Amino acid sequence: MSAVGAQVVVAVVQVVVLVLAAPVVVGVTREVRARAEGRAGGRVGQPWRDLVKWWRKRPLQATGTSVVSRIAPVLLLSSSLVVVALVPLVTAAPTVVPADLLVVVSVLLVGTVAIALLGLDAGSAFGGMGSSRHMMIAALVEPTVLMAVYALSVPVGSSSLSAIVDARRDDPASIASPAGVLAVVALVVVVLAETGRLPVDNPSTHLELTMVHEAMLLEASGRDLASLELGGWLRLSALLGLVGNLVLPWGVAGGTGPGELALGAVALLAKLGLLAAVLGAAEVGVAKLRLFRVPELLAGSFVLAFLAVTASALVA
Amino acid sequence: MTTLDSLATQALALSTGALLVTAALLVWRRSLAASARVLAVQGASLALLVGAIALEEREVELGVVALVVLALKGVVIPAVVARGVRVSGVQREDAPRLNPTAGLVAATGLTTLAYLVSEPISAAIAGRGVVASGPGAFAVPAGLTLVLVGLLLVVTRRRALSQLVGFLVLDNGIAAVAFLTAAGVPFVVELGVSLDVLLVALILAVLSGRLHAVIGAVTVDELDELRD
Amino acid sequence: MTPLWVQAAAALLAVLLAVVAPARLRGRLAGAACAVTAGAGVWGGAQAMAGGAGVLVVGTALPGVSMTFAPDRLGGLFIILAGGVGVVASVYGIGYAAWAARTTWAGFAVLLLGMQLVPAAGDVLGFLLPWELMAGGSAVLVLAEHRTRPSARPAGVWYTVMTHLSLVTILGGFALLVVATGGQDFATLATADPAASGAAFVLLTLGFAAKAGLVPLHVWLPRAHPEAPSHASAAMSAAMVKMGLYGLLLVTVRLLPGGPAWWAWTLIGLGAVSAVYGILQAGVASDLKRLLAYSTTENLGLMVLALGVALLLRPAAPVASATALLACLLLAVSHAAFKTTLFLGAGSVLHATGERDLDRLGGLVHTMPWTATTFAIGALGAAALPLTGGFVAEWVLLQALVRGGETVDRTVTVATPLAIGVVALTAGLALLTFVKAFGIGFLARPRTPGTQRAHRAPVSMRAGMVAAAAAVVALGVAPGPVAVALARAVDVPVTSTGVAGIALPGAGPVLDPALVAALGLGLTVPVVAAVLVAARRAPRVVEVPAWGCGAVRDDPRVQYTATSYAEPLLRVFDDALQPERDVEVTHIAESRYLAARVAYRQELSDVVETRLYRPVLRAVDVVADRVRRVHNGSVSRYLTFAFGALVAVLVVVAR
Repeated sequence: MSAVGAQVVVAVVQVVVLVLAAPVVVGVTREVRARAEGRAGGRVGQPWRDLVKWWRKRPLQATGTSVVSRIAPVLLLSSSLVVVALVPLVTAAPTVVPADLLVVVSVLLVGTVAIALLGLDAGSAFGGMGSSRHMMIAALVEPTVLMAVYALSVPVGSSSLSAIVDARRDDPASIASPAGVLAVVALVVVVLAETGRLPVDNPSTHLELTMVHEAMLLEASGRDLASLELGGWLRLSALLGLVGNLVLPWGVAGGTGPGELALGAVALLAKLGLLAAVLGAAEVGVAKLRLFRVPELLAGSFVLAFLAVTASALVA
Repeated sequence: MTTLDSLATQALALSTGALLVTAALLVWRRSLAASARVLAVQGASLALLVGAIALEEREVELGVVALVVLALKGVVIPAVVARGVRVSGVQREDAPRLNPTAGLVAATGLTTLAYLVSEPISAAIAGRGVVASGPGAFAVPAGLTLVLVGLLLVVTRRRALSQLVGFLVLDNGIAAVAFLTAAGVPFVVELGVSLDVLLVALILAVLSGRLHAVIGAVTVDELDELRD
Repeated sequence: MTPLWVQAAAALLAVLLAVVAPARLRGRLAGAACAVTAGAGVWGGAQAMAGGAGVLVVGTALPGVSMTFAPDRLGGLFIILAGGVGVVASVYGIGYAAWAARTTWAGFAVLLLGMQLVPAAGDVLGFLLPWELMAGGSAVLVLAEHRTRPSARPAGVWYTVMTHLSLVTILGGFALLVVATGGQDFATLATADPAASGAAFVLLTLGFAAKAGLVPLHVWLPRAHPEAPSHASAAMSAAMVKMGLYGLLLVTVRLLPGGPAWWAWTLIGLGAVSAVYGILQAGVASDLKRLLAYSTTENLGLMVLALGVALLLRPAAPVASATALLACLLLAVSHAAFKTTLFLGAGSVLHATGERDLDRLGGLVHTMPWTATTFAIGALGAAALPLTGGFVAEWVLLQALVRGGETVDRTVTVATPLAIGVVALTAGLALLTFVKAFGIGFLARPRTPGTQRAHRAPVSMRAGMVAAAAAVVALGVAPGPVAVALARAVDVPVTSTGVAGIALPGAGPVLDPALVAALGLGLTVPVVAAVLVAARRAPRVVEVPAWGCGAVRDDPRVQYTATSYAEPLLRVFDDALQPERDVEVTHIAESRYLAARVAYRQELSDVVETRLYRPVLRAVDVVADRVRRVHNGSVSRYLTFAFGALVAVLVVVAR
């Protein structure tokens, strides 16, 4: 199989698996949280049903919106799909388009910007508010992201994700080393902030004044909303899958054979289910931070990542 | 006995990592009760560090010191601080001179500084077993970081109790560096210093309780008012 | 050396046309001549980059004093940069400055010529004379609109003073080197011992940093760039400040390579502070051109940071050092492309609405689609998002830092993560800044009636903007050939791989944006197809009022403005930016518990200016007052001074 063919296969497999799994991941999170809080909760497949429902509805268009409102949902969804195709989720085989961590981060930013512009486009006060907060958080997350990337890259000498996952699988001791642990903890904080989970943002809030992510979607409806929500869920699942593969690098396929890919997909689904449950359970005990205390959280995780860097420079 | 050695290395790495993280957490958190808990973890990490050195040097005496450190710094002193928090009724450090974000950035800078200036110390202890290379070389800057962060806390905090926390971090840092560079301070000296620190902690805890009772505040700035 | 003569002749013609042509034709004729000047610059630069530029010695009126022009590859690169920006800005100016004053076009031609001659210089005189041409031309441009806008006058004063101080220090620095080596051509200066040239380095760095707009010498930049006509701002911001960077490269790479480590640390510090401070100020600015000016400080900061990192890593990690140097040049080129786009876009907005205050703009995407699209592309480049030149440059810089972290040198292992932190914070804040600039300025509904009446830009302006935006995208999608050419200018082994990707030296990482784009396109097509299918079944309902959670007021004033957008940022960085806030509560007469009126005022000034410059200026004022007592207006007294000075000079000479 040619290199390009292998790349296409990997991309298609990862995209299909994640698109099918992402709504369920969100469903599991909600279900676990509901159970832990003593509620009955919806069904695990409910997000899927919501998606189908939204997709069939006609979107409303606010007066004065521009083409940005129509492009942004597509842009967010496709940027998430690119991330899903790039990150080594099912397989860590080297690919034609290298899974460079810096590229992945910047593709994520494309989605961030798309949704921030969407929030501004309708010209409503809440959209602007959400967009402003969202961008402030995105701006302050950036140093932590790159520091965590750096901490993970330096021991391997490359910012290629497949190389990083491979190295961790070959040397499990590096996962439990202080540097490795600190870097992953910093990365987890980043993932929570990037995907708008507690304690940075509350995805299930109905109070507009505390919203960040939701406030930008207020004017979206119908299939636009479906694209935006699916894009967001894909981001969450891809990043959770990445964390899963960094903490438990076993089961990730090393090549692109059908058997390996099937095994990798099963392992990925297991990790995603586990992490989704952990996320849901953890969110029960956490309150949303005040907006102006979020920088403290991010600075804290920056320090963790920085310590990971200094530690990895010495202990390695 | 290589398994013991690798165990010591792992323990050393873990304890230095924990020392640094606890220092960062102390800068980060404003709740005093949480600070006391973090302090306990830091004391325990210090004890683990001493234990690792004891294991590596095969010194029983140092092992005993590790237990003493655990008892004093991991249990007693944090308990005294926690009690002081309960008695004074002050739950939070509400107006530090440096906001936590800036404090954390400053802590990063101090870590860097400690790391840069400790090169000669690391070089001086080179050639002594596990301490010389790998985690051991990292433990010295970590201890120095603790000293600097402790000073940062003392300087930037306003509450008497949080200044005490800073002082204790400073002491932990000194102890860590001392253990690494002198292969353990003599038992008696360590005991004496630790008891001294305990005494200081007791006095300050009591003092802040009294302060609260008398002038209704434990902000050190208020002491300015006491001059003639 | 023909291009050089063509440049000089065309520039002279441009000045002549600007002065004598009738006002109706002035823009077209002078603009065309300026474009020819810049085009000849690109030609000459290309020759120099190919290595065949030759040497030109120009005599002066003084015997034995001559200027040499001998551009090397690095100089050629900067000539192309200045020329390329110049062509685009000239074409744009034909429409934008069609009715501009004579001095505006004459100044612009002089500025272009100066910028293209500075990197061609082969000796000190050949460097300083064009440098002054450049400074003079740009000073005229800053003052061009002084009749209509009073704020242009102080801007002109600040600019002139700073640029002259920079000349003085550069002159001093070169003088030290000339004294040490005994010659004034660059080949002789290169024989100086770097270890003994500390003072020269400091003086030259001060001068070049002032021109590059680095903190704390940046104060002229946010004043001067907004005041100049927009095509001139583009040329100044995208090309002229780069001459400061060229100067630094000239000193640290060409003349005095192998300087001590503290040189590198100085540059890293200057760059880091400028990058973070510049983007912070840009993030909270609401004047569009001021925002762009501060962003220039940020970008120059990143370039100087990259240069510093390259110098620092040179002994310990030569491969990473070469990569960092390449990053510096890539940043310069991509910044030239996107900053031209952005300034031209801002110019079109100003042209169409008369506004450059973001708080009063909005909704321009409907009335000015061309400007909106090109500005968006420029903004994406400035935010360093994929498929733009900005991203490629930042990726190379980060790769250099990641690879630099592998050394064992302690100072380096500390420097690289700190540099990464700075670059990342800058990148994050740039994202916010440019989402704000585009989102507030072009999206949503117009915030003032004047904005509603905006009209499309003339063809020449659109052509300029489209060309600049195309360069941003081209650099982002196919960076390979450009990177190879840049790398050759500083002798770095970089190859182009794949479609048009970059392969960094030393079997390093590979970036092939075209492949990422292909992957993205491949994944977008099914999404778009699905959306189109769904759209056939359930078409969009056009025009319902925005929901806004049941908000009934449909007033554009409820929208977020640039100021409110940046408010969270301002609060987070309160200590660094130190805004002045004033809350005034007027109570009603009957009770002081009820407020009749609450007035809130917030003012932002440049902290460096208020804290550092004001005291110095006050001190200078006091001293000047003292000195003024000597000037009592008596002619015989002045003659006495002159006589005394002459005698004193003779005494010194005779000694």
